[in-house]
Amino acid sequence: MSEHHTHSNELSAEAMNEYVSVRIGDQLFGAPVDQIREVFAPQSVTYVPRAPDEVAGLLNLRGRIVTAIDARRRMGLTPREKTETGMALGVERGNEIFGLIVDSVGEVLRRPRSELEPVPAHVDANWRSMVKGVHRLEKELLAVLDVSAVIGTAARKNEAA
Amino acid sequence: MDDLISEFLTETAESLDVIDSELVRFENNPEDRAILDNIFRLLHTVKGTCGFLGLPRLEAVAHAGETLLGKFRDGELKVSPPMVTLVLQAIDQIKELLESLEATGQEPAGDDAALISRLEDAAMGKLEGAEQEAPAKPDNWDEDLGRELRPGEVSLADLEAAFQSADIDPGMEPAAAEAAPSEPVEHLGVGDFDPELGRELRPGEVSAAELEAAFQNTEAEAAVAPEQPVAVKSDFITEDMSQEEALQSAMAELKGGTEGNHGEGGPRVQQTVRVGVDVLEALMTTVSELVLTRNQLMQTVRGLEDDELKGPLQRLSAVTGELQDGVMKTRMQPIGDAWRKLPRIIRDVSTDLGKKIELVMEGQDTELDRQVLELIKDPLTHMVRNSADHGLEMPAERAAAGKSEKGTIKLSAYHEGGHIIISIADDGKGLDTQRIGEKALEKGLTTHDELERMTEAQIHRFIFAPGFSTAAKVTNLSGRGVGMDVVRTNIEQIGGVVDVSSTAGRGSHFSIKIPLTLAIVSALIVGCDEERFAIPQLAVRELVRVGAGSEHSVENLQGAQVMRLRDRLMPIIDLHNVLGVGEATQTGDDQAAFVVVLDAGGRNVGLVVDNVLDTEEIVVKPLSESLRNVQAYSGATILGDGSVIMILDPNGLAGEIISAMEEDVVIEGQSASVTELDQQTQRLLLVRAGGEEPKAVPLALVTRLEEFDLTALENTNGRRVVQYRGRLMPIVPLGADVVEREGQRQPVLVFAENHTSIGLAVDEIVDVVEERVDLQMSSDKQGVIGSAIIKGKATDVVDIAWYLDQSRAGDIQRRSSSRRRKVLLVDADAFARRMIAPLLAAAGYDVTPSGGMHEVKAIAEAGEQFDALVGDPSALDRIRKDGLWTNLPALAVTDWPEDTQAEGLTMVLPRSDRGALIAALDEVSQEEKVA
Repeated sequence: MSEHHTHSNELSAEAMNEYVSVRIGDQLFGAPVDQIREVFAPQSVTYVPRAPDEVAGLLNLRGRIVTAIDARRRMGLTPREKTETGMALGVERGNEIFGLIVDSVGEVLRRPRSELEPVPAHVDANWRSMVKGVHRLEKELLAVLDVSAVIGTAARKNEAA
Repeated sequence: MDDLISEFLTETAESLDVIDSELVRFENNPEDRAILDNIFRLLHTVKGTCGFLGLPRLEAVAHAGETLLGKFRDGELKVSPPMVTLVLQAIDQIKELLESLEATGQEPAGDDAALISRLEDAAMGKLEGAEQEAPAKPDNWDEDLGRELRPGEVSLADLEAAFQSADIDPGMEPAAAEAAPSEPVEHLGVGDFDPELGRELRPGEVSAAELEAAFQNTEAEAAVAPEQPVAVKSDFITEDMSQEEALQSAMAELKGGTEGNHGEGGPRVQQTVRVGVDVLEALMTTVSELVLTRNQLMQTVRGLEDDELKGPLQRLSAVTGELQDGVMKTRMQPIGDAWRKLPRIIRDVSTDLGKKIELVMEGQDTELDRQVLELIKDPLTHMVRNSADHGLEMPAERAAAGKSEKGTIKLSAYHEGGHIIISIADDGKGLDTQRIGEKALEKGLTTHDELERMTEAQIHRFIFAPGFSTAAKVTNLSGRGVGMDVVRTNIEQIGGVVDVSSTAGRGSHFSIKIPLTLAIVSALIVGCDEERFAIPQLAVRELVRVGAGSEHSVENLQGAQVMRLRDRLMPIIDLHNVLGVGEATQTGDDQAAFVVVLDAGGRNVGLVVDNVLDTEEIVVKPLSESLRNVQAYSGATILGDGSVIMILDPNGLAGEIISAMEEDVVIEGQSASVTELDQQTQRLLLVRAGGEEPKAVPLALVTRLEEFDLTALENTNGRRVVQYRGRLMPIVPLGADVVEREGQRQPVLVFAENHTSIGLAVDEIVDVVEERVDLQMSSDKQGVIGSAIIKGKATDVVDIAWYLDQSRAGDIQRRSSSRRRKVLLVDADAFARRMIAPLLAAAGYDVTPSGGMHEVKAIAEAGEQFDALVGDPSALDRIRKDGLWTNLPALAVTDWPEDTQAEGLTMVLPRSDRGALIAALDEVSQEEKVA
């Protein structure tokens, strides 16, 4: 990690990307900080019968109704158990707030913009449509989430249905 | 735009609205000085302000109007409708000028000489038809000047007359007082001559009198002229007043800055502050959230023992409540605001059409949310206009009908529960039921059959159908292409309901029920499985407890859930099924449930829920885009405990069942062998035949049980027959074959069908049971509909139709592969299709259900052939008319067989008698074959 830091410092003059690191399933993702309104622990998510699959339900965030999107479902992973609360990334789009529910939220990472690499072509298309690129960290890959795509496709897909 | 001008526009628009309705009031009460003074004051102020702002056109028109009004006030002219019309025209002209001022920021070019000269003429008593006291001198002859007045000049006498009510200069008073009654004062109109200045006013200048008028309401002035009665003028000179000061005073008056000086009886203007609507909306949202947070806090603390918290929390709670009430109040407006234009409209209608109309308004002070108010304004205006135009008759017509010549339109508003009820009633001729019916037919909204069955009230409701208008002639008042359908749509958009009732010759009565506010609605909170849902109270007709210990229960009718409520069958939907949560409520078991009777688009639909929990005021929040397509919901809300719940949409739910029912019917139609007896209690005859397992026959189908001596059975032409009541009755064995048993009698089930009887030979009649038959397996076995558990044993349910078919065909072997007869079932009512389709299927028919002509045509194009048509009379009629399957028998099924035209139909049968339907169908489809 130390080497990592030095590396970052050296390049501090360079344009940096800041990510909130989150885990969805086993994969480490980075959500661009400027797109995240806040991080909160979702409480008492109301299940909405007949809602599209990826909608985990609705929740109350300080008097505003937030549509919770289950990131695992969006990523095509096994859905979350009811007992797993996870964490949520608040994303504002238009007048609405969405809560993207992830398994856990880690620290904020800064990576030089130049190090963002394209998503390998052989990766699953659905997955690729929601990932802007990949940063190679020391131990693993950080997939950069296209937050709008994760949230937006939910709405668009539903419209088409 | 100049701030002053924009403020002026807003204020003036309000004043003009008031003038409009006040003038109409004045016309009816010419003796009421207070009204006239109020009008005069308002118009005067408009004029004064226009002068300051440099708006000469507006000023000139306002002035001319004011002059005429001055004549009324001074008693020099009698008020007559044409006069009032003229003043109203002046007001309209001012409005027009204001509009263009608003649009462009300046007065439009042009002049209003024609209007002004008419106003002037009228002021001089020259209006055609108006009462006129013959002037002795040339119209503009001025006695004081000894010459004719030049244009723009005004006579001194006139000025005096105008000033006579002021007593600042007592010396002048006697002269003026004399002058007024003794000779009619001819008025030249433009009173720009200022006696104090000794010259005419230059454009933009204002006379001291006007300034005074503007100031007379201020306290300072009240001190100077304490006895001054109301809103008029004193000739007090204030030449050194800056224009700005004067303007401010004029504005102050426009706003009604001081109270108590205005005429009595007129609408009192209250001290107000203008606040942007968006500010109020934001405030409302914030307060809503504060309330919710408060509720949450209260619930949290309720569980605690901490007394220290309780005191402050109680105060917080009270203050929050007050704040909420206060903010709600800022959104409330009296409904009178939406009615203000109506007196004028009615007056115009009565003048244009020569009708005598009285508009009675009650409950103007009834308050409702401004958002709602805005939305109902136009529909209301339209409806009142309609009543005046179409509802009320001409005076002669009314007199002939023994009514007073003057028609009355009564508009009233009152609160009821969380709603406001607005009613518009007229005592006119009522709705023309026949004309509406014809129009409905013409527009293809209904059929003759349907129409004949309809009650008057049902027919009347067609006026709300899209594109419907009965006005024979389009007047400039109504019939502008916007009909009652638009009214209905607008009202329904805000969650309201509109209805009409009408009695021929007595008048019609429209009533509108709308929620007080759109932001907060009262809702019923229901439980279903583990979830809670809110249902808007407006849609809830009643609550019925079903199941254990209740007289009501949900029944299954051919697989569809229904409930009998006051002798009517109501379709039932189970929220569990609609939402796909939990287990559907089982009826008849110990578990109680609730049926919420919903008003879904005018139709009662019962919604089964597990529990009714609470009623709560909820703040409706719009749904996220991804949920908007789920029809069942109209929004979401946050409850007092902080949890989010969905708001159910009754119309959406009803829409879901209709489509669910249609899907079901299609499925059942396709696998026609599934089920006659689905879940319904049936009396079954258990028999043994061709094996040890019992077989079940629906007892309702069996005509008689007989026993014959085996010797009585004869063979003719390879068929077994028996002589029975003087005829030969074919005997068909149920099961393998008739077992020859010496000395025993052969039990036979006799089915009388048409004019022939058929016997079904069985080995043994075992029992008669009454059971709920749950047909679990359909069967490929011929002659068997399926299997069911009866008395704990798997039992084949016999397909009687198949056997009957065999007996007729004579040759069992050859006929065994005979096709099932096909029936096309046409009924627009999905519920009816749902009831009939399985019945026919159970009777051995292949049923193709269809909902309307569209589907029918598609089926016809696909070249499908049938043996018979079954359906509602109007649908069959249309099929006949379209020349489809003309050779087929058509059996009409209806609730009103006696009212149905049987022409073109093979038979008309009551919907309730299913046996008759099957019998008739068997008969006609057989005849067809035989023929």
